[in-house]
Amino acid sequence: MFNSIEDTIQQLEKQRYICSKEIATTVYLALKMQKPILVEGPAGVGKTDLGKCIAQALGYELIRLQCYEGLDEAKALYEWEYAKQLLYTQILKDKLSKILEDQATLKDAVNKLSTEEDVFFSEKFLVARPILKAITNKTPSLLLIDEIDKSDSEFEAFLLEVLSDFQVTIPEIGTITAVNKPFVLLTSNNAREMSDALKRRCLHLYIDYPTKELEEQIVKLKVPECGNYLIKEIINTIHEIRKLPLKKDPSISETLDWAKALALLGCEVLNRNIAIDTLNFILKYEKDIELVKKNINTIIVH
Amino acid sequence: MMYDKSFISEEDKAKAVFFEFAEVLKKAGVDISIVEIMDMLHALPFISIAEKEIFKQTLATTLVKDYTDIPIFNQCFEEYFQRKKGNDSLLDVYTSHTNAEDFIFSQEEKSFLESLIDDFLESHPQSFFKKSNEYLTKILIDEIQSSEAGGAIGLSLFNRRSRFASGGADDSTEQELSPQVFEAIMGMLRRRMFERNMGKAIKQREEYLLNKYIYQLKPDEIKEMRELIKRFGQKMKNRISLRKKRVKHGTIDIKRTLRRNLQYGGVPFKIFHRDRKVDRPQLVVMCDISSSVNQYSRFMLLLTYTLQSLFAKVRSFAFISNLVEITDLFREMDPERALNSIFNDTNFTYGWGSNYGNSFNQFIHNYSDALTHKTTVLILGDARNNNQDPGLDSFIKIKERSRNIYWLNPDRKHLWDWSDSIASVYIPHCTEMREVKNFLDLSNFIDTLFIQKK
Ligand SMILES: Nc1ncnc2c1ncn2[C@@H]1O[C@H](COP(=O)(O)OP(=O)(O)OP(=O)(O)O)[C@@H](O)[C@H]1O
Ligand SMILES: [Mg+2]
Repeated sequence: MFNSIEDTIQQLEKQRYICSKEIATTVYLALKMQKPILVEGPAGVGKTDLGKCIAQALGYELIRLQCYEGLDEAKALYEWEYAKQLLYTQILKDKLSKILEDQATLKDAVNKLSTEEDVFFSEKFLVARPILKAITNKTPSLLLIDEIDKSDSEFEAFLLEVLSDFQVTIPEIGTITAVNKPFVLLTSNNAREMSDALKRRCLHLYIDYPTKELEEQIVKLKVPECGNYLIKEIINTIHEIRKLPLKKDPSISETLDWAKALALLGCEVLNRNIAIDTLNFILKYEKDIELVKKNINTIIVH
Repeated sequence: MMYDKSFISEEDKAKAVFFEFAEVLKKAGVDISIVEIMDMLHALPFISIAEKEIFKQTLATTLVKDYTDIPIFNQCFEEYFQRKKGNDSLLDVYTSHTNAEDFIFSQEEKSFLESLIDDFLESHPQSFFKKSNEYLTKILIDEIQSSEAGGAIGLSLFNRRSRFASGGADDSTEQELSPQVFEAIMGMLRRRMFERNMGKAIKQREEYLLNKYIYQLKPDEIKEMRELIKRFGQKMKNRISLRKKRVKHGTIDIKRTLRRNLQYGGVPFKIFHRDRKVDRPQLVVMCDISSSVNQYSRFMLLLTYTLQSLFAKVRSFAFISNLVEITDLFREMDPERALNSIFNDTNFTYGWGSNYGNSFNQFIHNYSDALTHKTTVLILGDARNNNQDPGLDSFIKIKERSRNIYWLNPDRKHLWDWSDSIASVYIPHCTEMREVKNFLDLSNFIDTLFIQKK
């Protein structure tokens, strides 16, 4: 557990995650209040990484559920291992026939069989998916539900039940309640709006692009070989570029890529020519590259 | 006795402040339920209010669940908790008056008084409240006393003098209120007014702009609306994509279901659904920017700009007597610069008066590739064609090659066809021609656009 907001910042820095006071405040409060956090923000601002680093800092097991369109309970919660069940019924055919031997009618046979079905619907044949794993985990865990906006709203409704009481009911087995309530982090890229009910369950954290100071700190930490002078120039340039109306702004990961590339190229200063030649590290669209080229004189001074 | 030394802890006083702040946010249009308020109260003991950044984030993270509301939150926070030069901040108003009202009134009396004050504030026009606080308080008290709304509680309120008057001055007249009670009521009234005004002022300004007749928007108001439109646009986009997700599941995909269940000997353990086709909005926007639409056109261009930045497949065109594509321009510049560069291009603005006919002809000639059977065409303009050829053939071609075509007309309906407007020439060939007076009309229209069935 983090001792304070300051401590949260320090502990996360040890995991190589630089966070603002805002981020630390929400994380600290969510842990104290035992509430999930819904993290929103543009791509590549460190939403996923935040979850991973909190887990590491707290020594929690990280259980990740990557969302996608069509994700359902079977992939998120649990699934019966049909193939295994089928295989067992095949192998146990003789045994089963023996049990059913004395039954006169089909109906009797079915009744008899159903008294035995517990064997097939027991935990032996159950595959636990991330949510069930998080609930049944023996030690504290962090459940990272990544990119929830990519899932369907039906899934969201289902998730809501889980988040409200951390227990799941498996009809064949019964209700399983969390031993350790997992710490839940949901991330979203704002592809769609989450329902009010879901938002109500969570604290809300919006991560925007970092300030120059923070981003500089991140690059210093992750690409120290770049040198402080060059890093400053990179950050200034990136922040100028983000002011343009781009199709896609360069994110932190792109800043890091660029810094690595420039360090590899042996750059000591960032001049216009080098920048133009390496723009494809930070911009994915031809149109964006053109736009930056057009404005390069105002973006870079030399 | 209950109000002899009614003990209100510091904590309760602080709580009242936070409740009020939540009220301010609500009045400014932020969606807040009791859950959010409880979370806020639950969170506050874990932090130190003295650290502004942390305090602010604690309120934001518990109260604001829609990131598009964050700018509004920031605005309210600054106004509420930061003392502005020359103005009372609500906190000041509090510290000077809550003491008095809490000392004098019981909880029951207080909420009773508050509801009377709210009625009072509702039942008078805005201008009335420019009067001095003393004057307003007198009127308030008069109204309460004469209406006999008070009942038992009211009587006990207004008869309360003896406790404060020195000695047993029980011969004073019924109507005279002790100065302490008067002061306390005045404090409550002042606080209530302040709090209503702040949240409301922000919200009202927005509503004013959104509802203002587009023709009458001033240039700086249009600038002011940029953020607002962006926020509205973002909300709209979120809503639309949520809606799309909801209609996604289609019928069972037999092929896939059988194929994927082969491993179980063909027993269909797992069912696969066919994804219903999701519509990606494809828009072509044609915007009349002639001087007859002037402010309107600036506004429309701003809107076009917003649409283009929100939806992937939008192509934008502007026309007066000639038509040009401005999609790239909008992609490359911020709206203000883009707008100026359009209006400064003398090649383009040369001559005057829109020529719809010529513009439609040019569109068919040069940009037919923008049209597919999935395209929705939006025409923004007043159909004042300056008595020139309407280019109806081209217009019909546009209609035939697109899914539907909407005409958003800033003129009031009874003015269509008036003077040189030829709206009714086009109407039979439009999916619909609509009167769009203000931004709200527009956003409602766009909102419904994407849930239409073919
Ligand atoms: N505050 C930070 N401190 C250190 N590294 C960071 C920080 N923020 C982002 N990064 C780095 O940036 C990269 C992108 O982060 P991450 O994948 O977590 O972003 P994301 O917000 O989850 O993006 P997406 O929305 O695309 O999933 C990672 O390599 C991460 O290490
Ligand atoms: Mg991620």
